[in-house]
Amino acid sequence: MTRGPVVALGCVAAAVGALLFAFASGFGRDPHEVPFALKGKPAPDFTLTRLDTGEKVTLAELRGHPFVLNFWASWCGPCQLEHPTLARAAQRYQHDARFFGVVFEDTTEDARVFARPMDPSFPQLIDPQSRMAVDYGVTGVPETYFIDAQGVIRDKYVGPLLDGQELATRLAALQQPSAPGASR
Amino acid sequence: MTALVLALFVSATPHAPQQAGSALHDGAREARVQGLGKLLRCPMCQGLSIADSGSSAARAQMDRVRELVAEGKTDDEIRAYFVARYGEWALLEPSAHGMNWLVWLLPVVLLLVGALVIGWLVRRAPPPHGDEAAALRAKPPLSGDPYLDAVRAELRK
Repeated sequence: MTRGPVVALGCVAAAVGALLFAFASGFGRDPHEVPFALKGKPAPDFTLTRLDTGEKVTLAELRGHPFVLNFWASWCGPCQLEHPTLARAAQRYQHDARFFGVVFEDTTEDARVFARPMDPSFPQLIDPQSRMAVDYGVTGVPETYFIDAQGVIRDKYVGPLLDGQELATRLAALQQPSAPGASR
Repeated sequence: MTALVLALFVSATPHAPQQAGSALHDGAREARVQGLGKLLRCPMCQGLSIADSGSSAARAQMDRVRELVAEGKTDDEIRAYFVARYGEWALLEPSAHGMNWLVWLLPVVLLLVGALVIGWLVRRAPPPHGDEAAALRAKPPLSGDPYLDAVRAELRK
């Protein structure tokens, strides 16, 4: 065999190997899953208005106590499904964490209609143009963020949170010190 | 029947996002917003940019791009803003570093390999035998058609 075909075969083998490597690493992950790069990072600053009282709520005033942010919209069916779970947890774990709802891509009127029949278990905040949602890396609704007393985003839950135990586990994790190396 | 079921389902489904999007910028500035939006991946869609998607998340992100442009941020800073939140996944055109080089270089490498293989195959093809070559060069009899004869004469050159 001459040198030409050997070189060509080597190149083809290298290209196929590289493709196989790329596919193997790609097939290992869910293509629908959007990476969440803010995990372990400081929560971005915000100032939002409460839907019920019109008072301002800022990140600065929440520091020193863990809190939960639930992004929802009146046009989102799964958000209605999960709300009772969150409402119960907000009452039950009120000493462990504060709960806030954040209205995503919705009008104030529609959000009020949605929130009215629910018990006023936790404050709902209006996010104009969903600016704060994008700051937090929201990919859709519902999504629930868990932020510790130091203002670090520990985790987020994508989709309707229907399992009270799952929620309790994540709230318990908020009480633990963050892993070494996590950004503050 | 199917149409009726679909119509009932659609009418009973809550409407999608109702919040008004931000106002468009003027001319070149809005073109920059759209250009940036074309390169950012919509988190709720399959392979669509946020500029091409009508989803709520995409619209919220386009509003944010518009806002960042208005704040005077550069294109790199705006891309970095989205990468900080959604990782490199947010970029429809991956940046050229690390493993991403594969995406840029592999097509070129494959083209080169293809050219090499074709070149090798062409060189390897055996030359026509002596008799066949002589026959090809031999002057064929005139056909009586001056145009056909002219073409044949050209081919023999």
